[in-house]
Amino acid sequence: MTRKTLLLACVLLVGLGAWAAPKPGGEMVIGFGTDPESLDPNKITSAPAGMVLTHIAETLLLMTEDLKVAPLLVENWTISEDGLNVLLYVRKGVVFHDGAPLNAEAVKVNLERFRKSTYAFLLFPRVNTIDVVDEYTVRLNLDKPFAPLIAHLTHNFVAIVSPKQIAELPEGKDIAEPVGTGPFKFDKWVRGDYVRIVRNDNYWGEKPYLDSVVFKVVPSDATRLVLLETGQIHAMMRVPPLDAPRVAATKGLELLQIPSVRTIYIAFNYQKAPFTDVRVRQAINYAVDKEAIVKEILGGVGGVSDAAIMPLVFGHSPQEPYKYDPEKAKSLLADAGFPKGFKCTLYHPTGRYMKDAAVAEAVQAYLLEVGIEAQLITMEWAAYLAFLRKPVNEATFDMFMLGWGCVTLDADYGLFALFHTSEWAPVGSNRSFYSNPTVDSLLELGRVAPDPTSRKAIYASALKTLWEDAGWLYLHYEGQLNAQRTVAKGLIHHPREYILAHKAWLDQ
Amino acid sequence: MIQYTIRRLFLAIPTLFGVTLLVFSMVRMLPGDPAQAMAGVHATREYIEQVRRTLGLDQPLHIQYGRFMLGLFRGDLGTSIRTGLPVSQEVWSRMLPTLELTLVSLFLATFLGVAVGVISSTKPYSVFDYASMFGALVGLSVPVFWLGLMLMLLFSVRLGWLPAAGRGGPINLILPSVTLAASSVALVARFTRSTMLEVMRQDYVNTARAKGVRQSTVVMRHALRNALIPIVTIIGLRFGALLSGAVLTENVFAWPGVGRLMVESISARDYPVVQGAVLMLALAFVVINLVVDLLYGVVNPRIQYD
Repeated sequence: MTRKTLLLACVLLVGLGAWAAPKPGGEMVIGFGTDPESLDPNKITSAPAGMVLTHIAETLLLMTEDLKVAPLLVENWTISEDGLNVLLYVRKGVVFHDGAPLNAEAVKVNLERFRKSTYAFLLFPRVNTIDVVDEYTVRLNLDKPFAPLIAHLTHNFVAIVSPKQIAELPEGKDIAEPVGTGPFKFDKWVRGDYVRIVRNDNYWGEKPYLDSVVFKVVPSDATRLVLLETGQIHAMMRVPPLDAPRVAATKGLELLQIPSVRTIYIAFNYQKAPFTDVRVRQAINYAVDKEAIVKEILGGVGGVSDAAIMPLVFGHSPQEPYKYDPEKAKSLLADAGFPKGFKCTLYHPTGRYMKDAAVAEAVQAYLLEVGIEAQLITMEWAAYLAFLRKPVNEATFDMFMLGWGCVTLDADYGLFALFHTSEWAPVGSNRSFYSNPTVDSLLELGRVAPDPTSRKAIYASALKTLWEDAGWLYLHYEGQLNAQRTVAKGLIHHPREYILAHKAWLDQ
Repeated sequence: MIQYTIRRLFLAIPTLFGVTLLVFSMVRMLPGDPAQAMAGVHATREYIEQVRRTLGLDQPLHIQYGRFMLGLFRGDLGTSIRTGLPVSQEVWSRMLPTLELTLVSLFLATFLGVAVGVISSTKPYSVFDYASMFGALVGLSVPVFWLGLMLMLLFSVRLGWLPAAGRGGPINLILPSVTLAASSVALVARFTRSTMLEVMRQDYVNTARAKGVRQSTVVMRHALRNALIPIVTIIGLRFGALLSGAVLTENVFAWPGVGRLMVESISARDYPVVQGAVLMLALAFVVINLVVDLLYGVVNPRIQYD
């Protein structure tokens, strides 16, 4: 071996070493759009808040990036045969950032606090009492089996904070600086500007490489991209689709497309003619070219819906698509007694979902081709939500566009609130007043069926009924378009719309 | 002068009272429900009603207003619906960045605008005059968000001289304040030029020239001094424009100011924060206008305050 080849081999080895071995230290900056509304686990409803909190306060179970439920603060769990008792085995040797130990009592205190909070009905509807069995075992007692419970324990609402912090919290106050067990500790939150977290050197698991992480609030998508290009931030969420080709072609930047769990749909007013007729609803599904919308308007980010929930959600089963067929739509309309179509209203938000207004305009154009004249009406978000929350006798809309993020990745979360008759607005989120006894009983059954196989079968038949019923104008599920600098290694871009720095490091 | 200042400060009370009434009724005229906005898309009606009771939004409007005013007299602006923090704390922490940005922009608008206007007026119809007035026209016409992005592209992405966005050291202030000040610089420059041209035609300027006073002294002492009153007025009024322009600038430059807080709070129907923020901004505007009125006396000692 000559000296030259030896040198080359050394360089290669060093290079490979640098590639393989993460470098400790440094501060990573992640840019996102909106300031967290709170860092109190019981109060957070947005993805940005969840993303920050996930680094500080851990949940009992983990939803991995490939959407599997894995142990985290709970190492294992068992469910009694009747489905009424759930035993959680708490991980030993874990301490909170303030030194308090994690044990069954700490878990109970947190769960009891959550049960008193405003979102308990959503995740813990059937949990009656919580017992401490021994130092590291907690038992949840249910009044009725509730199969989605395990998936719900991955939700940030039930992130565990130090019992000491809860005890010292004044009545009616929210947690502003969470003390959890996570790989990072809370450091500083300048509202509207950034949240900074620092490494927890006593972390029970694999310790993080980074010294600190800054989550920087940059509301404008364009500005966020400029910051990434100039190196002021290392990773960002929501690249504008128009800029995607440029980002992909820029040296030093990486473009990433990640699935999201949000389904976008247009719902009908079920209790109002002509949408009471299934043929009309099916006609509308045939009239709209969903493939073209995803390809041309969304730039291929996301996919065409093949069910009321997106493919990654537990319980999903694909349905026979309503292929774009204006002639079939016209004949269905004629059968229903509308050979010349009809006039209706279509409400939609602007700027809430990816290209929402453009999608609504495309739908309007497709409907016009089959004779349906839809008048587009857009509203500011808060006004829109209030408008869509009226009781059935006051609801004036014909159709509306909305999205639903199925964050627990369980079909129950994505279907029950939207289609069960007991959830009709203004009580729940069934804003289209859908009602079908078959679907109702299937959704109830899905909650109590103990084993995953039978649940899967139940949801398959619920999805099939909803599909044949043309419960919605099924549009698409969203994708996320993120970007990062190539020096940023080991970041996890999660379908829950998080960028996670647990195992990230900087190659510089 | 002191008496005048005190009187003016007292006169500000009814103005601010009017502002409270106006903003209180305006946020409530918006469609949408703060209880629903806070509760979120997934919330049940039961929970929304519970939120409404906790926030006191189930009370009649006059009682809500009464409570708000009572709190105000005790220096309590209420609690944010969205974050649960005291409004005063929330607004104040975001007010400082906004004041920093608007005051630097006001400074830029004043000195740059007056300087360009004066030079243009002393050499009317010269190349400098045409160029600067064309520049001013552009500055007045381009939208803030576009100008901001273009400056960012040039100075951060291409040249790499300045940080693109975010708050930090004084260097972070350059791009946002230039962006925010652009239209005000333009307006002040054009206004100074025309006022100066008018003053330069006055007899006393001719007299000064006839006495053989140097051109610079004529311009600075005789002409500018007399042109300043309307210029000071327009600068005072521009402060309001800067405050409202700050909303857009803050968004483009990720500046954690009160403008963005206000937009976020309006979206969330966070009434107490919107009220508090508008009140603080109105207060800032009233104070600046008082300063402008007091400056009249400094600029022109013939103006007496009694």
